[in-house]
Amino acid sequence: MKRREFLRTTGISSAAASLVMGLPSLGSAAEAERRRRIVFVFSPNGVIPKHFWPDQAGAEFDFKRILKPLEPFRDQLLTAKGINNQIRGDGDGHMRGIGCLLTGIELFPGDIQGGSDTPAGWSMGISVDQFIRNQLQANPATQTRFGSLEFGVMVPDRADTWTRMSYAGPNQPVAPISDPYAMFDKLYGQTKNRQMLSSVLDDLSGDLKHVASLVSSEDRQLLNQHLDLVRKVEKDLQTEFAAATKNDGAAHAVPKLQPNIEEQNDNMPEITRMQIELMVNSFVADFARVASLQITNSVGQPRMRWLDIPEGHHGLSHEPDSNEEAYEKLIKINTWYAEQVAHLAKRMQETPDPSGQGSLLDNTTIVWTNELGKGNSHTRNDIPFVMVGGGLDFKMGMAHDFGGVSHNRLLLSFLEGFGMPQKSFGNPNFCGDGPLTGIMA
Amino acid sequence: MGPPERKSAMSSHQTHACVLIKPPRHHGSVRRFRLLVLVAWCLLCCAVWGLPVQADPPQAQSAEQQSVLLKQGATLYTNQCAKCHGKTGQGNKEHYSDPLAGDTSIKELTEIIETTMPESDPDQCIGDDAAAVAAYIYESFYQNADSGQVVRRSFSRLTGAQLQQSLADLYQHFHSSAWIEEKRGLEAFYFNAGRWDNKKLTKKRIDPILDFQFGKQAPIEGVDAKEFYIHWTGSVIAPQTGRYQFVVESTCSMKLRFGSDERTLINNHVQSEGKTEFRRTLNLIAGRQYPISIDFTQRKRKTEQPAATFSLRWVPPGGIEHVIPSESLIPNRMPPTFALQTKLPPDDHSYGYDRGTRVDSQWDQAVTQSALEFGALAAKELWPHYKRKNKDKPNEDRALLKAFLTELAQTAFREPLSEPTRKRYILDQLAQSPDDQMAIARCCLLIIKSPRFLYPMVDDQSSLSQRVAKRLSLVLHDSLPSDSWLIGQAKNGHFDATHKQFENRVRQAADRMTRDPRMAAKVNEMFYQWLDLETSAEMVKSEKAYPEFDAHVAQDLKRSLDQTINRIFWDPNSDYRQLFRRDWNWTTPALARVYGQNWQPIADPSESANPSETSSPSESETADVDASGQPAESSAESSGSHKYATVPDPNRLVQSQSNPQQTLGVLTHPMVLANLSYHDVSSPVHRGVFLIRHVLGRALRPPNEAFTPFNPELHPDLTTRERVELQTGEAKCQVCHTKINGLGYTLENYDAIGRFRTMEKSKAINATGNYTSTSGQTVEFKNAKDLANFLADNPEAHRAFVERSFEHFVKQPLSSYGSDVEERLVKHFQQTNFNMRRLIIEIAVVVATEIPNGDS
Repeated sequence: MKRREFLRTTGISSAAASLVMGLPSLGSAAEAERRRRIVFVFSPNGVIPKHFWPDQAGAEFDFKRILKPLEPFRDQLLTAKGINNQIRGDGDGHMRGIGCLLTGIELFPGDIQGGSDTPAGWSMGISVDQFIRNQLQANPATQTRFGSLEFGVMVPDRADTWTRMSYAGPNQPVAPISDPYAMFDKLYGQTKNRQMLSSVLDDLSGDLKHVASLVSSEDRQLLNQHLDLVRKVEKDLQTEFAAATKNDGAAHAVPKLQPNIEEQNDNMPEITRMQIELMVNSFVADFARVASLQITNSVGQPRMRWLDIPEGHHGLSHEPDSNEEAYEKLIKINTWYAEQVAHLAKRMQETPDPSGQGSLLDNTTIVWTNELGKGNSHTRNDIPFVMVGGGLDFKMGMAHDFGGVSHNRLLLSFLEGFGMPQKSFGNPNFCGDGPLTGIMA
Repeated sequence: MGPPERKSAMSSHQTHACVLIKPPRHHGSVRRFRLLVLVAWCLLCCAVWGLPVQADPPQAQSAEQQSVLLKQGATLYTNQCAKCHGKTGQGNKEHYSDPLAGDTSIKELTEIIETTMPESDPDQCIGDDAAAVAAYIYESFYQNADSGQVVRRSFSRLTGAQLQQSLADLYQHFHSSAWIEEKRGLEAFYFNAGRWDNKKLTKKRIDPILDFQFGKQAPIEGVDAKEFYIHWTGSVIAPQTGRYQFVVESTCSMKLRFGSDERTLINNHVQSEGKTEFRRTLNLIAGRQYPISIDFTQRKRKTEQPAATFSLRWVPPGGIEHVIPSESLIPNRMPPTFALQTKLPPDDHSYGYDRGTRVDSQWDQAVTQSALEFGALAAKELWPHYKRKNKDKPNEDRALLKAFLTELAQTAFREPLSEPTRKRYILDQLAQSPDDQMAIARCCLLIIKSPRFLYPMVDDQSSLSQRVAKRLSLVLHDSLPSDSWLIGQAKNGHFDATHKQFENRVRQAADRMTRDPRMAAKVNEMFYQWLDLETSAEMVKSEKAYPEFDAHVAQDLKRSLDQTINRIFWDPNSDYRQLFRRDWNWTTPALARVYGQNWQPIADPSESANPSETSSPSESETADVDASGQPAESSAESSGSHKYATVPDPNRLVQSQSNPQQTLGVLTHPMVLANLSYHDVSSPVHRGVFLIRHVLGRALRPPNEAFTPFNPELHPDLTTRERVELQTGEAKCQVCHTKINGLGYTLENYDAIGRFRTMEKSKAINATGNYTSTSGQTVEFKNAKDLANFLADNPEAHRAFVERSFEHFVKQPLSSYGSDVEERLVKHFQQTNFNMRRLIIEIAVVVATEIPNGDS
């Protein structure tokens, strides 16, 4: 039962509801709207369509091998087949695949050459995640500390068209943060530093006293003043921590990260988990309502040795379907990606929404996508779009086949589903018929 | 202790508040403070004005006459003066609280007493009476206030600048040290290929500046216009500490690394239409050289290529955007460099130099922030670097990490760690942090916040030899010993006080340490303070009066002055007198346009400057591009038969024509004189105050009230000199203004932008003036040239320069080291033909060889 429904049927006021439900009163009383969120998860190099898309559209769809890990979320899941990235212009298929995926507009002319197409630069427009972010940040009621957070997993330390999905505007790619410790610093650096400071002050005052004994009594005056300062900071921090615990307890708890995980291929599973934990925690703390998780990059070459697949993903994706071994490996690789999406969904499902309205997943839509429909054909038809969760006002528990429409229309549907409908997004030539029909609840 | 600090009630001259006297620069030295009091005493009174100035020295008196005079003076003083001034001139809270002490001569004291004292009836004490009282005061307490009084050295924390430099060196310690380079410009590699390919290297040369519009043409002959790659490398010198905005304009793929290979400041790997301008702001520390490398690639493609353009510009603190001039670029790659980005609160400057004598929460927070910033970089850059260097060593039980942090703490504390200290700062912290990155951050936080780092005067475990090294680094570099040779010598007892070569060894080390970019920065800062200039202040002049004076001219003036100071200081003679005698300037096209004949370049500026003169502390061999930005070429491989046109720096500094009558070193440099002017008219008062206080080292008390200078427009017929005379004519003003104006007027040939003139308001300039020394002698000047000669040779000015240098470098009052140290340094300065660099070496020796109490 949704919270509003509950209120309507029981007839108690929202203030009383807070008491009854034992919710943090500050957040919910002030919030008329639920906290909608959207997360874009990217995995590269296309899928094996036959083992990805349900055979049957509608509510009674089946789960193929790749999507199997998502089966527990059937009621909150939506697959959207028949969505084509029709953007043309400069850039190879992979570049346009990732660069136009969330922007719906061409790439600028540029000097990055891929494949046999013309070279290109950055995207000419903003991406839909950043557009939503800006709308939310413009409204005091939905503003958050960061607006959006861009997570990466093993995205190469290289700024080019293949490594950027998110754009703050024309020629303004947003770099994802692939190092969980760096993301931790961004999210909790201040708090962590305050805690670290607090924990060294004892040692510091101890030594200040010792050093004071080494100098003359006149010189000691300055050191004593210094010591007083340190004690004052110590006291201030204690008060600060006490107040923080009292006021918002769990919301500001700092998650613990596994120490000493280096950013390297074999640590991908750990890094993905760490990033997911950080994302879930940052939603709890309401640091952002838009996020992305970019697993590697367009043309990504992870070597999933933990699945006994020593070859790089992109290399394998070029193999013809007749190469059974490669075909099988590609299914496994994509299944692994699906497991990550499922893990994210699960963590959100088991985490109550801090607004008091259901779980995080009830208010968050995870959009899992890809730059290609299929690796060996480089097609940008049937781009994988799988959604989990209740952030958008879509009717979930559905398998759609839209039959080959421009993906700009889906971008418009995201905006409509988020409650911020637009007439066009990206290149207006691809928005002619507006948002998709039959997707909204 | 030390006298009380006092701030002038006056605002800066831009606000037109009176006599524009900045706060008394120094109270630590009692010698200078004394005069303030006396002048103040006089200001209380009103009386006749227009005191006659006598050119002859007072006649010698017999001892008997003197004794009679003093007795008479004593009686008069007791009866008429002591009530307000106290028995021994110590002052009286109810009447006049400041002690009577100063550096005014007996003659001037006499005049002041005659015209202003006693307050109730100045006529009561005149003529011989006034002379007797003056003599009595002078002999009894006025002049001797110093004797027997020891100004205490203040125990200090690191100043902001010292904190920045120390952290920069703490970082540098793990790499190699920077060195002084004379060459200017950046090294360029031109490839006939889209990437680095030794076989396709077409040309290697030095580009004095980076400001290219290649268009669709090849950048050089032998390179395909459709596909080429240029790699520029070298370092950037920050002329002063502050925030710099780097601006790159590039129409092609480009990557710029700055400070270290690992730090990409701008990544435009992807050339994308419309994205051509890149701006990044950074805090840079003076005296540091930041490695820079740029990859610029025109990629071949099937679509249309953009016209190739590349320009490397910056906006220095207080400056305007311009192409980074060649004098700020060197073609050698320096080791990785760290510049603290945390903003630090300003230090107390009331004594004329920064002092770290106060701690407050704002400072404490800034230190915490600095420690966190350093810790993050230590974890990110220093630790991986250390691991790579020591990859053969075992790291069991985090042994390598412990070794790394121990070395870091030892360097920061400037001494070996005792076991308890090592446990407290490293082992206990490691036990608390299983994650290595966190452990490093935590240790750095504690180490940098530690009194062992923040108070450089604290000695715990250091040997006497190590203390010497510590002091040398602090005095000469505002930093800590970080170079391996110095740490090594200190550790091995090289500076052993019992060694008969002790002092010489310290002197040799100091000499070596002066040939260092860090020292160069400290010298530059000293000259700015001496010349009353702020490094980052903007200079704006009346558009109506001086339409030709714009921000570009101001920028070039600063460059010109910097070069003048550098060249004079780093000349082997390092002759102080050249500061007043150098008869030519460093000029640019803009300066030549605005400043006329004296600023025209000499016929062949490529042979600019005295060949015996070197630009910087090193004595390295011939440069490819000299410091004035003359390009040089060397062809790679066999294509050398072509002579390629390089882009010369059109704004490079070249030598101007000489004019021994009008160009008088820094004294007449427009940067200095324009700063000591209003936006529309010159200010003899500012200039006089500057000369008295800064150059002659004497004290002035600010007037008790603020005055608005007369508006020139209300006195359209008066010259500046006449207007100042009119305003400061009253007796109470004249007490100080006879001194101030007499000096300031001599520079009246230089207008509000410091340009030479002979006329003002259709009247010929009157640049005559005079000065009365502490001994009562009056010197007359016909013009600025006379003044320049006087200042170059005057012992008072020499002493003032010694004191200023000492206090800038040591950050303690000179008098706190005793009068014999002062005499020794002054004598040394004179004996070395006023060699400024050797003076600073000697200052460092004095400080470093002092045996601490109880340790001798």
